[in-house]
Amino acid sequence: MSRSPQALLERRYARLGLLLIAPTIVVFCAVIVYPLLAAIYLSLFQLYTPTLEGSFVGISNYRDLLARGEFWISLRNTLVWTVGTLSLQIVLGIGMALMLHQAVWFRSLARSLILFPYFVSTVVAVLVWRWLFNDLYGILNHMLIGSGVVDMPVDYLGSMPNAMISMILVGAWKYFPFVVIAVLARLQTIPDALYEAARIDGAGPIARFFDVTLPQLRDVLVVIILLRAIWDFKEFDLIFLLTGGGPVISTQTLPLLVYKEAFALNQMGMAAAYAVVMMAIMLVFMIVYIRQTREKEAS
Amino acid sequence: MAGVTFSRVRKEFAGFLAVEGLDLTIEEGEFVSLLGPSGCGKTTTLRMLAGLEFPTSGEIRIGDRLVNDVPPGQRDIAMVFQSYALYPHMTVGRNMEYPLKKRGLPKAERKAKVAKAADMLQLTELLDRKPSQLSGGQQQRVALGRALVRDPQVFLLDEPLSNLDAKLRGYMRAELVELHARLGRTMVYVTHDQLEAMTMSNRIAIMLAGDLQQFAPPQEVYRRPANRFVASFIGTPSMNLIDGQLSRSDAGWHFTSPGLTLPVPALRDSAKAGDACLGVRPEHVHLGHGDLQAKVQLVEQTGHENIVVLDVAGGNRLTGRTPSSQVPQMSEAINYRIDSDQVHVFGPGDTGARLNADG
Ligand SMILES: Nc1ncnc2c1ncn2[C@@H]1O[C@H](COP(=O)(O)OP(=O)(O)O)[C@@H](O)[C@H]1O
Ligand SMILES: [Mg+2]
Repeated sequence: MSRSPQALLERRYARLGLLLIAPTIVVFCAVIVYPLLAAIYLSLFQLYTPTLEGSFVGISNYRDLLARGEFWISLRNTLVWTVGTLSLQIVLGIGMALMLHQAVWFRSLARSLILFPYFVSTVVAVLVWRWLFNDLYGILNHMLIGSGVVDMPVDYLGSMPNAMISMILVGAWKYFPFVVIAVLARLQTIPDALYEAARIDGAGPIARFFDVTLPQLRDVLVVIILLRAIWDFKEFDLIFLLTGGGPVISTQTLPLLVYKEAFALNQMGMAAAYAVVMMAIMLVFMIVYIRQTREKEAS
Repeated sequence: MAGVTFSRVRKEFAGFLAVEGLDLTIEEGEFVSLLGPSGCGKTTTLRMLAGLEFPTSGEIRIGDRLVNDVPPGQRDIAMVFQSYALYPHMTVGRNMEYPLKKRGLPKAERKAKVAKAADMLQLTELLDRKPSQLSGGQQQRVALGRALVRDPQVFLLDEPLSNLDAKLRGYMRAELVELHARLGRTMVYVTHDQLEAMTMSNRIAIMLAGDLQQFAPPQEVYRRPANRFVASFIGTPSMNLIDGQLSRSDAGWHFTSPGLTLPVPALRDSAKAGDACLGVRPEHVHLGHGDLQAKVQLVEQTGHENIVVLDVAGGNRLTGRTPSSQVPQMSEAINYRIDSDQVHVFGPGDTGARLNADG
């Protein structure tokens, strides 16, 4: 055992280090590790939500879940919603960012305006959209009928595939500003000389987009897509408020299913099992995201 | 092949005059440098020729073709940017291939041209690397290669060597001269470094504040600078410029300044007595003998010679050169002589015209 003053000092430093990161670790354990473990633990029981009483059933919740049609329908809905709204967000986001990047004079004004849907509270936004979509007094139907495009009111939220399409559109509207801001920031750092070189090399506007802009946006797009994929995958409030999963369960995604099991059907154990499966799926995205950011840091 | 003609070309940026009524005719196959201090409009001139900037008025021709409204990609020019502007996600090979691809050349032909250019610039080993994996000098050569593959009528180069270290710059200067000799293409080269302009060009266009000052071969610019600005800009150490008075007697013209009176060579008819400026190159200030005297202020030993700064009476300074064997002592009083056949006389003002009769 070394008792030199230096070793003592080192040990004291090590203890100081532990002390400094301890609060973070405690908070991390309390808000992330504990709920996570608790969810996994709960998923092994059959529980009645109001009393949280029930019996240990092992993995039978998982076996049930995989055998249920509702799980697979909800998973499919989640994927359709995520892929649909995310693609629209990316396309709209890049398009709008390119437009804002060109127009210098109203750029700063437009940049704050464009953030509006992103900042407005989901409840408010969804209420406004439900009002616009309303089949009896909604302005969309009013305009469509008035201009003669349709002669019957369109049922935007109560029928399929309209409900899914409406949901995807509202999701895209709400979240594309995030893409705009991230892409715009990157666009502004692309050197003009690259575009000029491409013009001299004979590249037209479209070639310049695909050969200069898009490759430069690649890194930021990977991060945006991964982050948004995770967030869209677990989106709850927008869907719950807009369609509530209906008609029947046609737009019910996994987060809604978890909610329904836990608080409508009072099956807390089953709900926890769904949540754990969701987490496992999202873990895939997470791992890709962590890989990607680590790679970027390394290079 | 084609030369380049600027006729009365002006360029204004929101009220700021960057290039003023430029008239310049560059011959076919000529290597011309645009030289001048930072902000004098060199890059703007080159960018107008490239089509990246539109002249406010005036005409630009490449060969006989008026190119004012021709987009950059159709001007049959290639440009090497100061920042190189290599496409970061493409390999060296793809970078060089890109302009050929955009012109729709078949793949086999593209490969052959890239291979040939890569061979010429010793880039063959690097074709599969990304620009970020190359040194500055290598990136520079790739940028040159991307211009070369197309075999354009005119090469435009905007300070292509300014990001390289001194040794590499010297090497690349020689490479570019050789390349120009081999290709025989018209090259327009922008630089603020008079040494580059002097060593590489057939002719130098010297600019100041958007205005062309002189357009002549390097030796001409050195021996007969059109005005005081050109004289001060060309040559290191730079020409001694002394303000004083010009006067005429029966014996001819004389220049006087505190501590200095000197006969000057024949002047033009337009020369007038009064304020003037005397210009003497350091190599025409001979130290160690002569009937003038001054104090040695500073001695800089560069190795093959010494640069000596003299403190002439009346606050004037003179720079002279001595061979490395002759090292004057600091503060020593020294005799010197000015080669009065070799002096220049300029009119008053920063751009006072040269008045010597041989101009
Ligand atoms: N796009 C522009 N807008 C406004 N002023 C410009 C622009 N480009 C160049 N200038 C101005 O024109 C002058 C000449 O610029 P430039 O041709 O780049 O000089 P240099 O000789 O250093 O290459 C400078 O004073 C510069 O500030
Ligand atoms: Mg410049």
